[in-house]
Amino acid sequence: MATVTNWIDHLSAKEVQGAIYPGVGSEGVLVIILVVLWIGWHVIAARQESEKLEKLARKRHGPNDWKSNVTDG
Amino acid sequence: MTDELSALTTIFTEFYYWITVVLMFLIHVGFCMYEVGASRYKHHQHTLMKNTMLIPLVTVTWFLFGWWIYWAFPTGPGLAPSIMNESAALITDESTFSAKWYLPNTEYMAVNLGDHISGVFWAAFLLFSWTAASIVSGAVIERITTFAFGILAIAIGSVFWVIDAAWGWHFDGWMLKLLGYHDAYASGVIHAVAGGFALGILAVLGPRIGKFSSSGEPRNIGPRNPWLVTIGLFLIYTGFWGFYAACNIPIFDLGPEYGMEGVTYFTATNIYVTPTTLSGITFNFLMSLSGGLLAGYVISKGDPFWTYSSGLAGIICASAGNDLYHPIQSLIIAMIGVVVAYKMHYWVERKFKIDDAVGAVAVHGYAGFAGLIICGFVLNGYPSSGYSVGAMWVGTDYAPINPLGMFIGALIMFFLLGMLPGWIIAKVLHGMGKLRIPREVELAGLDYEIMEAAKDDEKSVASASR
Repeated sequence: MATVTNWIDHLSAKEVQGAIYPGVGSEGVLVIILVVLWIGWHVIAARQESEKLEKLARKRHGPNDWKSNVTDG
Repeated sequence: MTDELSALTTIFTEFYYWITVVLMFLIHVGFCMYEVGASRYKHHQHTLMKNTMLIPLVTVTWFLFGWWIYWAFPTGPGLAPSIMNESAALITDESTFSAKWYLPNTEYMAVNLGDHISGVFWAAFLLFSWTAASIVSGAVIERITTFAFGILAIAIGSVFWVIDAAWGWHFDGWMLKLLGYHDAYASGVIHAVAGGFALGILAVLGPRIGKFSSSGEPRNIGPRNPWLVTIGLFLIYTGFWGFYAACNIPIFDLGPEYGMEGVTYFTATNIYVTPTTLSGITFNFLMSLSGGLLAGYVISKGDPFWTYSSGLAGIICASAGNDLYHPIQSLIIAMIGVVVAYKMHYWVERKFKIDDAVGAVAVHGYAGFAGLIICGFVLNGYPSSGYSVGAMWVGTDYAPINPLGMFIGALIMFFLLGMLPGWIIAKVLHGMGKLRIPREVELAGLDYEIMEAAKDDEKSVASASR
């Protein structure tokens, strides 16, 4: 996984390799993981939000009911 | 880097953009404070969370495709050939500034000893993207779902503003060549497009409950915490310094860049690689801020909310040409922008029943639009680029700045890439039933359950004896 194991060898090479992160060459896989995380987040967050909104809507609180929930701080 | 001078130049440039990113972070802090200050108590926490979550959403999509769009789209595609490869197709070839290097799976989009600039430049543009999305965020508070806002934030932050940046901000952009478009500090490229996008959404989203009386008269839902609004706007002013600096290239030798034989001329440039100075734009930033505040105070009769917002609107209106204006021109242009923004806000509100909760469409959209048009007259005849000056519509060289080109540019920014996509995406989300929160929730308050839980916690702690 390590791209660099010896800095002296790395920096004294005829052509210094720029990319030094672990797993050079695996960028495509990392991008796929990021896309899955991104889309997955939307799906999960949207579901959570819909459930919360529906639950709160069913309770039909009045426009001033929130005032009874104001804390002392 | 093996020689000292190029190392110093590179590391200076790297650090310069890094500093602008840190400064611009304050814009987002300011927007968050401003929105919370403008929202009502029962919606505070969701308002804050909505604006906060645009940070990761726009960042991730900016990494995946936003940055690529900027480098791929300068030619339209198909509207004007690139000066790099003489093709009007998407720029994805092997040329130096090709989008090919900015795909998320390239080795330049990571720690790379051979590239000190991509990351900080990527981040500077990303902060512009957050700003574009955050502008929209304020307009839609208290009634949009977080899901819908997330989608819309990605659309404006990682797609539409980037397309306009590629067209009208990139040194190879077709709008510079065909129209003579000039927008040094983003009157249109960020502000008009985001304002237009917000207006498109608002037309579908509708007003907050109670904003208009049964006869259609608008009611004022003023800021609930003017101090937070004040600090928020001051932080946006502060972050705006970073924004201005980030729109410049700090040091550039224009002689060889323009192909002038034997000429060495080091200077700062604007984003179009035409000369300006950080010192000069500092004059103009402060004078346009002052012009905005002066005009805002008078036109709103000392209303704090509008006066502070007008400082911002003033800068935004003068931004298109603040690389070249005289400071007094800048101040006057800012004053005009504020009058336009203020008058348009109330006219549109009454006429079309648009509820722009924080005046974002006015401050960013109308002031930005006006700024572009004014720039076309005041800078009429200046070259839009240093590379090769030509005429309008030719496309192979660069048209000079002119009123017609800037007017068309303003229409593209506000309507074509702003309002139209905002309206279409909002319509789709509305059709899915995902755009607006239920009426019962809007009345109860988005934070009802959080507040209820906090009250219960308080009670249980208060009744505890140990």
